[in-house]
Amino acid sequence: MIDETGSRDAQAGIAGPEDDPATAASIEDLAAATIDTPTTASLNDLEHLFGDPWDPDNPTGHAAVLAADEAGEMLAAGERLLDGYGLNAEFVPPELGGRLTRLDHLIEVMRVVFRYDPCLGLGYGASSLIPAVNVWAAGDERQRRRMAEVLLAGGRAVSGYHELAHGNDFARAEFSALPGDDGRLRLNGRKEVIANARRAEAMVLFARTSDAPGSRSHSQLFVEKADLPAGAPVHLPRFHSAGMRGVQLGGLEFRDCPIPADAVLGAPGLGMETALRSFQVTRTALPAMTAGILETGLEVTARFANERVLYGRSLAGMPYIGSILADAFTDLLICDCLATVTARSVHLLPGETSLYASAAKYFVATLLMDAMDALSRVLGAQFYIRDGGYGIFQKHLRDLAPAGFGHTARVACLSTVLPQLPRLARKGWLDDTQPPAGVFHLGADLPPLPFERLSISSGGRDSLSASLSAALGSCELDGELRRLVLVIAAEQADVRRECAALAPGDLTVAARPEALRLAARYAAVLAATACVNIWLHNRERHDAFLSDPRWAVAALGRIAERVGRDPGQRPRHVTERLSAEVLSRYRDRRGFGLSNRRLPG
Amino acid sequence: MNIPESAPSDTDLRSWLRARVAHYVQLDVADIDTTTALTTYGLDSVYALILCGDIEDHLELVLEPTVAWDHPTIDALARHLEETLAQGSPSGESR
Ligand SMILES: Cc1cc2nc3c(=O)[nH]c(=O)nc-3n(C[C@H](O)[C@H](O)[C@H](O)COP(=O)(O)OP(=O)(O)OC[C@H]3O[C@@H](n4cnc5c(N)ncnc54)[C@H](O)[C@@H]3O)c2cc1C
Repeated sequence: MIDETGSRDAQAGIAGPEDDPATAASIEDLAAATIDTPTTASLNDLEHLFGDPWDPDNPTGHAAVLAADEAGEMLAAGERLLDGYGLNAEFVPPELGGRLTRLDHLIEVMRVVFRYDPCLGLGYGASSLIPAVNVWAAGDERQRRRMAEVLLAGGRAVSGYHELAHGNDFARAEFSALPGDDGRLRLNGRKEVIANARRAEAMVLFARTSDAPGSRSHSQLFVEKADLPAGAPVHLPRFHSAGMRGVQLGGLEFRDCPIPADAVLGAPGLGMETALRSFQVTRTALPAMTAGILETGLEVTARFANERVLYGRSLAGMPYIGSILADAFTDLLICDCLATVTARSVHLLPGETSLYASAAKYFVATLLMDAMDALSRVLGAQFYIRDGGYGIFQKHLRDLAPAGFGHTARVACLSTVLPQLPRLARKGWLDDTQPPAGVFHLGADLPPLPFERLSISSGGRDSLSASLSAALGSCELDGELRRLVLVIAAEQADVRRECAALAPGDLTVAARPEALRLAARYAAVLAATACVNIWLHNRERHDAFLSDPRWAVAALGRIAERVGRDPGQRPRHVTERLSAEVLSRYRDRRGFGLSNRRLPG
Repeated sequence: MNIPESAPSDTDLRSWLRARVAHYVQLDVADIDTTTALTTYGLDSVYALILCGDIEDHLELVLEPTVAWDHPTIDALARHLEETLAQGSPSGESR
């Protein structure tokens, strides 16, 4: 892969196939690559490689993506493209030779992949990222180095957590790794509905290493296929799915299979804790990447509205259609604000992200799904038809569904947040300690990812929530936006009061829906807090759209409605500003997210 | 919730913990066995975090959030807290 930006491509060469001309990159290029960040230039590289999605002859365009989906196969040309780009290097920390310096950058890169083909996003990307992050968080020197080598050589890793019998309740996982007669661990049991089960060179398996009940009885194991005896594991038949049809979902069965003694990640018994810490990174990143699906959804819908003529006028000109476009666009911006602030918090407030990551996973996934549903109504029959010019929409809609239940169900995320809320209501929310302003500065420098400082509880602290009242203290905040921030602040006060009064049973697995809804309302307030602070802190960025308060007015209004508060009538000029922005970004080929990036082509 | 002037005795601590567990799982204190794993009562995984927060506030200690995983019965937890208080330093220095 040779093009104008040598530095990023030199890195791609490391991970690329032997015959890739970029492997011949000079030492200077490699040195430059190590300080390179996925700037706009490298994002543009990736976009250029994928090419024009609407070109019917493009091997990685919508037509090809749809054909692979119909065949239930991964898009081979897409996998080759990502091999060449060295996508796996995005999942590996820099000290191990990769480019995983910042979560917000990783999200931007993966979002491009999700925009084109969510099957590549999940099957090539996220399913290797999840096990990798667990190795970075808990693995020893050797395990970290080996995982990095496998990925940088273009290999895949299996994320082996799920068992059909236990779903989200993985504290009850039965898959076991207990010592055999010779003292070596023996694997027994099945992992099912596992992406790339047959294709991966390495795996991270969540296994019971003690018969005792409780959360110290499991460990995670890093196992390489090459170290297993012949015939292991047994591959179970493929699962066929409604969406993500190209992703090869399989199952692994082990019967008394010995594994090397040094497979356990960290000390035995840390499996659950490691998962709850590492999943904060992936619960933040995955829904944020998935927002690429809604970006494509908006693009397809804008194209349709632009082309379709009814009653002698363009559909795009009908106020009803314009307001649906405006709402979906607003929801995408809300997702971006919450996801970006959460991703930056992983770097800056790792002790508190146990709250934010689960709240963000719940809220972002919910908004994305609702917004795609709403857009499908604009497309009418075209959203139901699998071929033709708009067929890509129904594929993206189907591919989005796993955001709701995969990598922890949304309600299970709420039940991670809920037990922490009463204590926050008693103490934490009375503390006015502010988060570092860097959590709100788009693109600003970040310290390295502090995997070792992620904690399973926020210890009663929640500085992001404190930044809502701080925003109210800003004299920049006036008019309609101030009025709406006050509506959200009233909601925040209600949430606090109701959390303080929660019945004890509601903090356990017996929680009533109203109690879980409190956690959902907490997430909504957090999203509004992120939106208003992103607006306040990024007004000097020479982005006329971003500094215009109207998107934030729309965002807070949507959030207020979602939690059942009356935001008042949205001024017409706000809706019109947003729908016009959707159409002009479509016509100018710019991205629909916060970054407002110009797309090549 | 009162914060005791001096460290509570082991028995005080145990009965306080027993009352907290009974409170959350909505059983009579008499039905809570101090030698039974908290998991049996459903206080495991993320749900065990509520106990940790309560204990921290009650004893003004900073603990590892996993304290109830590592000391999975009321007796074990009380013993561990008693030792921690006796040492006069919190067991979890991670904050
Ligand atoms: C495309 C795809 C790819 C996948 N890839 C992988 C992979 O690579 N590796 C892997 O390990 N797994 C993978 N999975 C499996 C996935 O992780 C599981 O589907 C997921 O963990 C959820 O389990 P479940 O669907 O069985 O839900 P269950 O846990 O059985 O949920 C059933 C219902 O209970 C609800 N529920 C669950 N917990 C709670 C709670 N605490 N409170 C209230 N309600 C609750 C849920 O919302 C749901 O409505 C994949 C699945 C798909 C579809």
